[in-house]
This record gives sequence, structure tokens and C-alpha cells, in this order.
Amino acid sequence: MTLTQPLTRRVIDSIPIAVFVALFLYIGLNSANFLTLATWELILKQAVPVVVVAVGLATVIVAGGDDVVSGGIDLSIPATATVCAAIIADQLTNHDTAVAVALILALGAAAVVGAVNATLVVRVGMTPLLATLATSVAVVGVTKVITESRRIGVSDATILFVRDGRIVGVPVSIVMMALIALAFWHLVHRTKWGMHLQATGGSRDAAEISGIATRRLVALSFMLAAFAGWLASVFVLARGSGSSPGTEETLLLEMVLATFLGAAFSPRRVVTVWGAVLGAVLVSALTVGFISIGINVFWTGCIKGALILLVVASAAAGRSQ
Amino acid sequence: MTSVLARHGFLIIIAGFFAFFSIYNPVFMTFGNQLNIVEGSSILLILALGMTLVVAMGGIDLSVGIAFDIGAAFAVVALKEYGFAWPMACLVGVVGGVLVGLLNAFLVVGLKVSPFMATLGTFFIGSSIQRVFTNGGGPISYRQMPQGYRDLAVGDVFGIPTEIVIAAVVLIVYFIFLERSIWGKRIHAIGLQRSAANVAGIRVQRYMVVAFLVASATCAIGGLIGSANIRMFTPLAGFSYLLDAIAAVFIGASMHAKGRPNVIGTLVGVLFLGMIANGLNLMGLNFNLKDALSGLILVGALAFAVGQRRLR
Repeated sequence: MTLTQPLTRRVIDSIPIAVFVALFLYIGLNSANFLTLATWELILKQAVPVVVVAVGLATVIVAGGDDVVSGGIDLSIPATATVCAAIIADQLTNHDTAVAVALILALGAAAVVGAVNATLVVRVGMTPLLATLATSVAVVGVTKVITESRRIGVSDATILFVRDGRIVGVPVSIVMMALIALAFWHLVHRTKWGMHLQATGGSRDAAEISGIATRRLVALSFMLAAFAGWLASVFVLARGSGSSPGTEETLLLEMVLATFLGAAFSPRRVVTVWGAVLGAVLVSALTVGFISIGINVFWTGCIKGALILLVVASAAAGRSQ
Repeated sequence: MTSVLARHGFLIIIAGFFAFFSIYNPVFMTFGNQLNIVEGSSILLILALGMTLVVAMGGIDLSVGIAFDIGAAFAVVALKEYGFAWPMACLVGVVGGVLVGLLNAFLVVGLKVSPFMATLGTFFIGSSIQRVFTNGGGPISYRQMPQGYRDLAVGDVFGIPTEIVIAAVVLIVYFIFLERSIWGKRIHAIGLQRSAANVAGIRVQRYMVVAFLVASATCAIGGLIGSANIRMFTPLAGFSYLLDAIAAVFIGASMHAKGRPNVIGTLVGVLFLGMIANGLNLMGLNFNLKDALSGLILVGALAFAVGQRRLR
């Protein structure tokens, strides 16, 4: 590393940020409402479930390394969020359970998913990609049994408070999202435990030799990810006023997009908790922005796909420079 | 004894499920039903073989479903809008698949994006293009398609369903090239240790480009059969094969002595998944319960397949 980086490197490094600034300027100039407080409040509210699952995914990736196939990844977080949402909605609406009990039942389900993932990866030795893909399929199947593939509406006061309530003028869901992101950031980036986690992800063997219990850390990262899924389920319920089948698919794609997009904004191009938060908010802003300037919604996927490729490719180019 | 059990453990599981389904419903083991399983697995086998090639090379292809869809779309549009003869339409479909492969190859080899992210990007872009093209996902149906094209799915060659014949031909070609030729050895070498393969003088980049092109073209063939079967192009239909294709490849890899993805293993994996789906159907379970059970069996089977390999 030299102090004065070559110009090409700096140009390539700034591509992701430049692209986003240009896009937002374009949207802002073409839509009168885009740069208003109300729009950004909507953007943040829409982003909440993605932010929460993305910080969970970031934790697993920090512990497992960012190689997508052999490193850490947890594709089952959105499925966990959906099954928890289904359990809570089913309990509240069909069984008149108290909110606290419903939440605890869902937390138990999330813990089972996390434990299965941890066992498959740490004990059985499956690659995280395959293990979490498989549990995701199974969990989605179980969700169908619970909901009978139907939508379950929720009119519980607590859930509606998360949807509509405000704390000193700020929507509750945004406040809670900020607290959750802060907690995960502190845990992963500011504690000794987090340092060990990062060491494990950086080099499993080196961490092992220096006496870190890597297997336990990786297992715990999957439990934390499942916990994030459980937290997200409340926002999924609030955003949709109930549990709907098929929520996990869009959530999965947005989660992966947000987390890896976030890596492109970190100086060392690694997945971080803040990166994941930023990525999720930017993706949400783009979705809202495109709608506000009247772009055909069917193009959004294409633009998102092209964006992530641009960002990841510029990161790859920056690394090989 | 332990080693025999470990090596063939998965086959014992398959035999166990076979026996269970047969006892539960005797229809399961009839020749007609077994033929159903094989025929119903043909398309998945074709896609899983494409996936095997990419995984053997050390990558992963999340866009197999897109290549399937684009193959079907190109062929159906060529038949319907341009009145192509059906063999030409098939060719157009395969070319469509090659285009998907080209995008993947450009991203992975040209821009050095990891295969997971690259093919995920292709998946986003391919899905979106299908939505735009069909104005939100409406199918393009073509009831009067030429009999020759329709026969890809419903015809037979000397009494054997054409689907099975096509899948078998693809299987044999893949077996010869991936397991019995120098090209296959080089592909496996790249998958095992890319930098070593490079040092050994293998033109790694060229092999990777070809592998992505061939894999996507293969998946497009699956798309041809799929669209011939239902006489329409259904947008995003290929997505449903993605997880099963990945699962089949990894079940197959876990049965290999060195844990490598391989053609015969993939065949066994595909037939296992086909057998589970068919067997659960014949048990007459509720649709939702069937989904949950097959998911749980998938987790258990994969855990067992990977776990028993470590026992050796």
C-alpha cells in the first residue's frame, strides 16, 4: 500500500458512490417529491425489514469470510422471518394468544432454525450456502403448513403500534431499526467478541491457532442471524399488516443485494454491519425513486441487477489493481 | 464395514424410501409409475447436468432457470411470430441460452466477478427482462405448435418417451466429456485448484467461458422441452428448478469418493428428488404438508450425505 494511490485505482474506487450520487441527482431533478422529508421517511420505513435481515447476514459473513460459496452465508434468514411472522399472525388472529406468548413461540422457532443451521455447518461440515438453502426450503414448507398458503391479517395493537406509532415524531419502526443496527454494529465491530468473530472470518486457521474457539463463534453467528430473522418478522408483520405467502423471496434477493452492495462502500471492500444498513436503505431509495419518476416497475429488477454487477465488478477491479 | 456403509450410505437411504413408498402404496413400484418418475425428472436432470459442469469448475450458476426461460421464450416466439420450422426454432432457443451463458462468462471471466454474484445479477436482469417483455409475467401460449416441436415433450422414440431420450443423450455426452476426456479432467483441475491449473498450462479462462456457455445452452434445451410440454412459454418458470438442481449436484458430490461433483452422482440425486416428490404425491398428502415434508427430507438427506462422507 502506498500513500498516494494510482489515479486509476481511485477512479475505480469511487465508481459505486459516483453512480449512486448521479442516480439520486437524476431522480431528484425529475421528481418534485423525491427530496422531501416525507419521501425519505417512507424510504426508511420500507427498508426496515431488509435492514434487519441484512445486519444478520452481515454477522454471518463477518464470521465465515466473504467467499460466497465456501465462506459464510445464511440464505435462511428471510425464511425464518416469514415463519416467525406466520406463527405470530396465526397465534394472534386464530388462537387469541397474548402478544408476548406469540413472540416467544416465534423466537423458539427461530432458535430451532438457527441451531439446525449451526449444526449442519459446524458439526456436519456442510457449506453454509447449501445448508442454509436447504433449511430455507424446509422452513418455507413448514410456513405453508402453518398458514395453509393463505394471508393472515393481524389487527393486534402492538403490531399496529410498530406500523403507525411515533416516538418524538419519528416512526417507531425506524427508531427500532436504528437501535437494532446499533446493537449489531457494537457487537460485531466494537467488542472483543466481535474482534474474534472478524479474525475467524479473516483466516479460520490463524484464528484457531491463536486460541479462538472458531467453531463456537461460527455457530453463534448463525444463532444471531436467526435472531435477526425473528426481529425482522415483527416489521414484516407491521409492514404488511399480517403475514403473506411468498414474502421471503423478495426479502432474500433484497437482503443479498443490500449486504454485498454495502461491501462496496467500505474502504477495504469487506462486508460490514453499517455497509449492510446503507445498502438496504439505498436499494429502498432506488425502488421508491424509480416509482416516483414513473419508470416501469418491471425494469426495477434489471436496474438493480445491473447496479450490483457494476458495484461488485468495480470492487473486483479495484482489488486486482 | 464402516467404510462400505459410509460409501453406500446414501444408496441405503434411497432403498429405504423406496421400500417405504412401495409398502404405503403398491402403485409406487409399478413399472408405469417408475417410468413416470424418470420422465418427470428429465428436465431437472438436464438442468442439473449444466449445474454439475459449472460446480465442477469451482463456480455456481444461479441463472440456470433464466437460461431455461430464455430458451423456451426464444423458441416459442420463433415458432409463433416468425413461423420458423421447428428444428430452427430449437436452434434459436439454444442460441438464447448461449446468450445467457455469454453474459455470465463476460461477468466472471471478463470482469472477475465471483460466479455467485455474477449469476445472481444475471438472474435479476433475466427475470426483469422477462417481466418487461411479457408485460408483467403473462404466459405466451401457442396451442397450434408444430407436432415436431410438441413431440419433444409428448412423443416417443421406439416407444421410449422423447424427454427421456433427450435427457439420456445429454447425460451420455456429459459423462463422456466431463468424466472420460482430457477436457473434463482439466475442468475438474480448475475446480480443485485454479491457480495450479493455470500454472500447469491449462487455458483456465477459455475453459471457464466454454463451461458457462455449454451449461446455459444445456439448460435452454430443458426450456424447449418444458415449453413443448405445456404448449406455452411461462415467464420465470425456470426458477423452480434452481434449488433442486443445486441439491442434486451436492447429493451427487457427496457420494463421490473424493466429494467431487460428478455426472452419475447428479443422476442419482435427481432420481432421488423425483422419487420423493412422486412418493409423497402417491401418499395423497395435503399440498402444503407435502412441501414441508419434502423440504425436511431434503435437509436430512443432504446432512446425511455430507456427514457420512466425513466418516470415511
